[in-house]
Amino acid sequence: MNSSRCAACKHLRRRCPSDCIFSPYFPSNNPRRFAYVHKIYGASNVGKILQDLPVNRRAEAADSLYYEACCRIKDPVYGCVGMISILHQQIYNAQCQLAMIQAEIATLSTPSQSEDQYQFQHAENIAPTFLTHQNGASNSASFYDLSTWLD
Amino acid sequence: MSSSNIPSSSTAAGGPCGACKFLRRKCVAGCIFAPYFDSEQGAAHFAAVHKVFGASNVSKLLLHIPVQKRLDAVLTISYEAQARLRDPVYGCVAHIFALQQQVVNLQAELSYLQAHLTTLDLPTPPTQLIPPPATLSIADLPTSSAMPATYDLSSLFDQVVMHPSWTLHQRQSEIDTCAFSTTATTRVQPEIPSFAASSGGGGGDLQELARELLNRHAPPVVPCRNQASTLPPHSR
Repeated sequence: MNSSRCAACKHLRRRCPSDCIFSPYFPSNNPRRFAYVHKIYGASNVGKILQDLPVNRRAEAADSLYYEACCRIKDPVYGCVGMISILHQQIYNAQCQLAMIQAEIATLSTPSQSEDQYQFQHAENIAPTFLTHQNGASNSASFYDLSTWLD
Repeated sequence: MSSSNIPSSSTAAGGPCGACKFLRRKCVAGCIFAPYFDSEQGAAHFAAVHKVFGASNVSKLLLHIPVQKRLDAVLTISYEAQARLRDPVYGCVAHIFALQQQVVNLQAELSYLQAHLTTLDLPTPPTQLIPPPATLSIADLPTSSAMPATYDLSSLFDQVVMHPSWTLHQRQSEIDTCAFSTTATTRVQPEIPSFAASSGGGGGDLQELARELLNRHAPPVVPCRNQASTLPPHSR
């Protein structure tokens, strides 16, 4: 038995050739890495993906395949899309807060106090209520529209 | 709508589903793919899924998912397959890191403006902000409790990539293509991946992998005045 088999060949219970496509990216000290990728994509598909890439891009591809596999195993329904949704929501929250702060700065820059109060209240009305209710409460603002990121 | 060429055990629509059409096999009653890949456009979409994931793997995945969640799973799997075919190196991870970078940039700008706000003579305390993370990592993302409970999957896919109308399930259920929400009448908390360092099951690996990919992939963080996202170059 070849004791220097990569994690992929160990998982597949086969001999690890010297030109094994998996061995540079699935070392034997991290069996879970290949196990996850194999579970989601299958060894054959991963091999084909890596084979079709230039050698200098294969490490990144293996990393991203592993990352996607992890996401899918943790969340079988949404996978990476769940993370994308979370990030979009963060962006939206940050943009709203940015707008509020910019409005606040603008009001503080104006000399009139009564006008300040009006503008600040107006700025507060711009921000959706979900900013203060971020616990997933059922309100209409909690339904997030992902259409903004389609290019 | 019957034909002598169509197997008798085909789907209720009178022909093989898109998956079985692509695989050139008999579409049996109860085919796991039939509700989600119709015989017209479904075959083309299944081709991408098959190329990246494989029919057997997708079938196993769907079998372990409740029936009411399978449509969402098929859509997200199809999205990831299409993304991987377009960008064989990063797939949809490129998008994740672009968004992550955008979050960092926005939070840097928030910090800058908050600091600016504190320099002004304020009678009221400054607005409470989300503090920017010290290092960028998937583990810094909020957990499911802070996030909305619904995903609008209909806006995930543009008209060129795919349209939910190719899912036979949707047609049969007469669901509006613009209402592909995972929740119907109740806001049910979906399983959102939590990559906090304290979580088990590879949280540390994901952090390390996220940092590694980001270091290779994303430019350094600088406070920016505009909110335009800077997408990293694709590998192709």
